[in-house]
Amino acid sequence: MTYASSTSAILSSANTEERPTLGTRRTRRRRQLWPYGYMGPALVALGVVFVYSFVEVAHYSLYAGSVGQLTYVGFSNYRELFIDPQFVHAMFNNFRLLFTVPIVTFLSLALALVINTTFRGVRAYRAIVFVPYILPATAMGLSFSYILQGNGILDGVLKNLHLSFLIHDWLGSPSWVMFSIGSVIVWQQFGFGVVVFSAALLAVPGETIEAARIDGANWWVVQRKILIPQIHRIIEFFVILQAIIVLSSVFTYIYVLTGGGPGYSSGVMEFFIYQNGFENGSIGIASAAAVVLLALASVLIAIYLWVRTRTAKEVA
Amino acid sequence: MNWKVSATEASTSTRLKSMVGGRVTHKLMAMFCVASVALAMAVVPIAGTANAAPKKTSITYWFWGEGDIPGITKWMQQRIDTYQKLNPGVTITLVPQSNSTIIPSFALAAQNKSGPDIDTQWATLPVLLPALQGGVTPISKYVKSSETSKWLNTSENQYKGALYAMPLYVIGVPLVWNKKLFKKAGLNPNKAPVTWAEFLADCAALKAHGITPIGIGNKAGDFGAWMFAIYEKQALNSISELTQGVANTGNAQAKLLASLKKMYTMFQGLMSKGYINSNVASLDFAQGWQLFPEGKAAMSFTTDGNALAWAKVIGQANTGVGEPPIWGTGKLAKTYDATQSSSEFITSWSPNKKADAKFLTWLHTPSNMVALNKETGAFPADSRFPKSNITNALAKTLDGFDTAGTSIWLENFIPPSIDTSADRPAGQLITSGGTAAQAVALWKQQLQLWQSQQPTQFSQFKTWAANS
Repeated sequence: MTYASSTSAILSSANTEERPTLGTRRTRRRRQLWPYGYMGPALVALGVVFVYSFVEVAHYSLYAGSVGQLTYVGFSNYRELFIDPQFVHAMFNNFRLLFTVPIVTFLSLALALVINTTFRGVRAYRAIVFVPYILPATAMGLSFSYILQGNGILDGVLKNLHLSFLIHDWLGSPSWVMFSIGSVIVWQQFGFGVVVFSAALLAVPGETIEAARIDGANWWVVQRKILIPQIHRIIEFFVILQAIIVLSSVFTYIYVLTGGGPGYSSGVMEFFIYQNGFENGSIGIASAAAVVLLALASVLIAIYLWVRTRTAKEVA
Repeated sequence: MNWKVSATEASTSTRLKSMVGGRVTHKLMAMFCVASVALAMAVVPIAGTANAAPKKTSITYWFWGEGDIPGITKWMQQRIDTYQKLNPGVTITLVPQSNSTIIPSFALAAQNKSGPDIDTQWATLPVLLPALQGGVTPISKYVKSSETSKWLNTSENQYKGALYAMPLYVIGVPLVWNKKLFKKAGLNPNKAPVTWAEFLADCAALKAHGITPIGIGNKAGDFGAWMFAIYEKQALNSISELTQGVANTGNAQAKLLASLKKMYTMFQGLMSKGYINSNVASLDFAQGWQLFPEGKAAMSFTTDGNALAWAKVIGQANTGVGEPPIWGTGKLAKTYDATQSSSEFITSWSPNKKADAKFLTWLHTPSNMVALNKETGAFPADSRFPKSNITNALAKTLDGFDTAGTSIWLENFIPPSIDTSADRPAGQLITSGGTAAQAVALWKQQLQLWQSQQPTQFSQFKTWAANS
């Protein structure tokens, strides 16, 4: 093979690489499209479950009446929502439940720090703390109904301890009912918090703690200056997650403990949606409330995603 | 069968492809299709004849009754088993409903026009409103009047000459009292409080002796709804005063709200004087009722069935039953509080309406009605039921209350959504320390919301209220 011919062969091969044939281009394009094909079923499922549902809900929020008897009312359902004392009260109750977030965060972080040190039976203890989180809501609701009802188990205990001035109808009094529900939420979410924080604390390198100790840091300083700052992203994540939960996932607590009562005193937005959509058949106002709830939850979800992205970047 | 044909078609097609090296001409394919269709047309009728079997009728029955009559679901399942043996071609699936699912489940089913073939709803508006929306077929279309005339309390589900549902039992709401506790409080144990003044005096005496006068639960608003049914009725001269008020006709709503305020003030008075158990707001109906057989409360408003069951616990000699004391001065004040409570009807989308009606009618045969009474203690809603079967003296008294004169259960005459969104929460407000003004404001606000959110239902209700 001469130099010229070999050069020509090389050029020709280079040309082939630069200018792929029609068949090669098709193959490449097909390869590029494959990942989308794999994602297809998931995208379709998401589209049906979330996008279609959201569009339908937003559409229904512009109507009054039941399915099959809808009357277009424009945005008046939204106006009606914000002058409806039940909805305003329900929204207010959701915000009141946000007070459980710092409580559950503080308590679970404190316990996670205490049980972070290895002692006999620590694993069993962690498992026990987690049990309330996995208890069925109905069992939990029934148990707490008996505990918290007027003259119930809690009142009996208080009476025996000569603390009768503390006796209340915990679920039957409008002034105490949200406090009682908040306490049950703290009790159940506490275990989840302990597990999340314990896992985060276990991931903190032992050398860091060891180095601090060599530098003379006592237990309290290690917790405050080393461990808590090391897991602060997880704490942020937990706080936002809890806020989303008390804003948009407390229906079960309300349904099993009080049914929204007495009157409407323990209603939350989700329960308002259920009552209007399913019990009263007022699909329009229920849909409008669902859109408002989604908007509020979206703000928290956006903050959550931002925190997660920031954490991921820091780790990288 | 169609599957077999298409499978044959597919395999033949594969064979043809291989014969011509994978290239089937259009002409050949067209010929093949024509041949396949012809073959299918020829085969299907033959196969249909060969596999001809008696047509199976399948009935889905969403049933409720346990809340009124403990044990009635078991009785119904036994009846179904017997009916299926007598009619091998019929399969009935019983789907028991709970207090919280009975209305919303059927509301969804009616929207989608699918679900049960036979359904149970509470009498009157929970039946008639879906009927006006086309979800219920009048049972009088399929059952002769010679039969329906034997059923009791049918007027509760009649509209414009048609009967929409069948009653199973009649249930009354008496006042029960514990004679032992009355005696302990220095009261005449054999005398029921008849007037409101007597009732309040009895309550005061019981309270003074450390006995809780009335034991009941209102966690889900049931007791509040009963106070509305019993005592708001006593304030009315006619049912139309209520229905016109709900329909917002003229100044009827203002009048209704004023009368509700009086009733809730009376209710609030019972609460503030401590005549009702202090934990009424956090006990459900059943839990609250338990205070009576446990001897922790001297009186209660309850159902016939419960009164009979409690008499077995505290002794029949210690149990008194009477009509609820008279508080109101309206013309309806002296009517009793009995109802067929639950009503059975055929849905408009049921494909086997005749079979549904046949089964429902069969439930009213004397042997079934006797079994209903024997197994559950319920009073059958059928004039053919031999009263001689009721031997217990207390049961005889209760049956007498239920059937002697006019009976009205007022809760049946408000739309179910008003019952759940206004009636029950308003009663809950009162038992949890709220005021009559707050309860009435809630009624007003929910009536307005219903009017704006359910324009079609509101207009149907208005038409019904004007014509019934």
